[in-house]
Amino acid sequence: MPIKRTSAAGNAALLALRSMIAPMVAVAIALIVGGALVIALGDNPVEVYGTIVQGSLVGWPNFLVTLQTMTPLLFTGLAVAVAFRAGLWNIGAEGQLIMGALCSGIVGYAVELPRFIHLPLCLIAAMLGGAIWGLIPAVLRVKFRVNELVVCLMMNPIALLLSGWIAARVLKAPGPTNKLPDVLDSAGLTNFSVYSQVNAGFVIGLFLCILFAFINLRTKIGFQWRMIGLNPRFANYGGMQVERKALSVFLISAAIAGLGGAEQVLGQYHAFYDNFSPGYGFDGIAVAMLAGNNPIGVILAALLFGALNSGGVVLQMMTGLSKYLVQVLQFIIVLILSARFSWEWLKAQRVSVVEPQPQAEALPKNAETQEN
Amino acid sequence: MTQSIHDSVTITGVHKKFGDFVAIHHASLTVRRGEVHAVIGENGAGKSTLMNILYGMFPPNAGQINVEGKDVSFNGPSEAIEAGIGMVHQHFKLVPSLSVAENIIIGSEPLTRQGLVDSKKAEVEAEALGRRFGLELDPRAIVSDLPVGLQQRVEILKALYRDARILILDEPTAVLTPQETRELFVTMRAFAESGRSIIFITHKLREVLAVADRISVMRQGRLLQTLDNQNVTAQQLASMMVGREVLLKVKKGKANAGETALEVLHLRANGQQGHAVLEDLSFSVRHGEIVALAGVQGNGQDEVVECIAGLRRAASGEIRIGGLKVGANPEANRNAGLAYIPADRGGLGLSLECAIWENMAVGHIDQFGSGPWFSPKAARDVCSRLISEFDIRGADPDKLAKALSGGNQQKVQLARELKRNAHLIIAEQPSQGVDIGSIESIHRTLVAMRDAGKAVFVVSADLDEVFSLSDRILVIYRGQIVADLNTYDTDLETVGRFMGGIESRTGQHMAEGHSHAH
Repeated sequence: MPIKRTSAAGNAALLALRSMIAPMVAVAIALIVGGALVIALGDNPVEVYGTIVQGSLVGWPNFLVTLQTMTPLLFTGLAVAVAFRAGLWNIGAEGQLIMGALCSGIVGYAVELPRFIHLPLCLIAAMLGGAIWGLIPAVLRVKFRVNELVVCLMMNPIALLLSGWIAARVLKAPGPTNKLPDVLDSAGLTNFSVYSQVNAGFVIGLFLCILFAFINLRTKIGFQWRMIGLNPRFANYGGMQVERKALSVFLISAAIAGLGGAEQVLGQYHAFYDNFSPGYGFDGIAVAMLAGNNPIGVILAALLFGALNSGGVVLQMMTGLSKYLVQVLQFIIVLILSARFSWEWLKAQRVSVVEPQPQAEALPKNAETQEN
Repeated sequence: MTQSIHDSVTITGVHKKFGDFVAIHHASLTVRRGEVHAVIGENGAGKSTLMNILYGMFPPNAGQINVEGKDVSFNGPSEAIEAGIGMVHQHFKLVPSLSVAENIIIGSEPLTRQGLVDSKKAEVEAEALGRRFGLELDPRAIVSDLPVGLQQRVEILKALYRDARILILDEPTAVLTPQETRELFVTMRAFAESGRSIIFITHKLREVLAVADRISVMRQGRLLQTLDNQNVTAQQLASMMVGREVLLKVKKGKANAGETALEVLHLRANGQQGHAVLEDLSFSVRHGEIVALAGVQGNGQDEVVECIAGLRRAASGEIRIGGLKVGANPEANRNAGLAYIPADRGGLGLSLECAIWENMAVGHIDQFGSGPWFSPKAARDVCSRLISEFDIRGADPDKLAKALSGGNQQKVQLARELKRNAHLIIAEQPSQGVDIGSIESIHRTLVAMRDAGKAVFVVSADLDEVFSLSDRILVIYRGQIVADLNTYDTDLETVGRFMGGIESRTGQHMAEGHSHAH
């Protein structure tokens, strides 16, 4: 009889590898389709991709811009991944990011305090702002079973318009732009370089991703989030206080998104600007999907999307191709990943309808007979 | 194989593969005209797959099927129906909100000259059909209002309306009381005598011996043998199904009941639609005894268990586990000393997309690591130990739970729940979807728990299991306990009468209703 058992570590490595196949394939297909598109436009795909890679990763200035563009995606991607992993469809990261930014922007200029109090206070304000915005869909979902997708989707434009009104009317800074007054230096996140706006917020985002990777694997609450996400009835049966934990994970997710807003205000723009986000919250969904809700995967996916964005700008300058080409690539990746979700869902449906037992039932027995 | 005019179905060398897995190994089977032909085998032996092939649900990879002298290859159930084959599935395929007549005609409706459904004609035809076969039903009754036994009649009539001459019944008795089962058998015999053929899929051996003319035994996708129902015993059939000697009845000594472990007092609860499903229900289970709750499905047994497990809020009444009053909080109820083995393995008792070690860790995470920290390694180690202790075949801590067979999934639940030092064990349908070999070991484990002084409460729709396992039998009917019987002083007939509500202890029925609804 062959030895069937492999070591746990080997299994884990195998699982990790297998979980990377789908995102890799999605990216590969996106590159091929994008390449075909480039050929159709009369350009050389190898050159175009070369320009993107060159423009995003080669040389300190380019690389630092990539780090800057990936930073908000670290936050929103992680926020979405944490919620998705627990089975909560928080697609409201955009609104939570805006509210976090607004709160940190207000605290950042309105109070004068020493730096070691002021900066943490601003960060806390951002987390609270995001969490409060997440509280509405979270409570509706957990207590009243209202679909969070719909509520989140509606909360996003409300956040945009509310913050826009505050920035244009209520607390508007003097001048032509709809923005709040600049935050004080005591609230600024340290900038690392003259080449880009990359700042201490990047380190915070990176740290959070690693922290949550650890929480997921090595703490009880991380294990419980996963179990709640995969089968809430089972988790409840096992005594996990599902309602309370779902509420708290939703708020944590929203707070992370809010913190992403603080990074933008305190680190990049040094003031809250109306309509500052080009949709970081939505890109966060794509990042989380590509990462398979794995926080370390979020770092890699955010790097990919960040590189595409910063490389896209260089591409536009160098070749005249639109920077929106990289958005097409991003959309194709998302499309393929969603297709995969639907496919697996359909497959599960079909198996359970047509053939409830025999396959799963007889397999082990069969294995026994072969061994005898 | 030669085809004779007496044969209605001949299956020759049918082979079916799903991917790499061979579900049916060159099976051959002949069903004669006018016989009740039982196909028996454990879960996963391939009975349903073979019948689904005959019914055109999927094509075989090899082999021939001959129906009433004609070679056929169906592209779907509709072609099988046209050839005269009808199938009543284990889970009814009825539209609950439509009437009996509408359900019967659906898909082959009689039309008026204007091309509209002729509902009057449908009702007349449905009624006539029922009368002809002794399956009388009110054609205007709404299906969801009918008891399960009558819903099954609708299914059978549906097949007969399409002129089925070969009727496949897939586990038809699972939802019936013994009395209803007997009525069904009378109907089956009547069909057979009218020259039709019945293929009866089951794993209940007593029923096979009672009704079948011939018996085909399947094991691991192979059709082993077809026997005449003469001079065979249940024991022989069981051994053939499993491939080794099995104990049909678990050996156990007398119960030694002690203190009360579970007490349910005046429990009332409402169902999903807010109607009362439990009405002033009281009972208790003591340490050292196995108490079985018998009843036809849907009489409130699910709700009783959910209330005890803390998964459903009671409208009023009290539940005490080990003397502690418990409510709708699964964690508190588990801490009070409850181990619960649910019937719904895939939905409630396991997370099929998770690894086995994760499934085994739920409910015990406090012991894997101190404070907030969690040690997957500790959980994996405990899991490996339990896998060998409970003899869970083909299991590996990192394998997904869905890769296990039903019996081994049940053992995962059992191992997880029994390793906690609980003094009350609730096992819900412990042998449902479990192969005979595993049933034996599951029953032995439950008896061992009883002998170790634990209180065991078994909910089962299978009366054979109830009788083989329990010391005391409670019968539930319409949300009330109508009988509390000593297993050794009662018989199937009595329990069956209580299950069907024919006899009741109190005599009065419960119309007073919904006093304590929220």
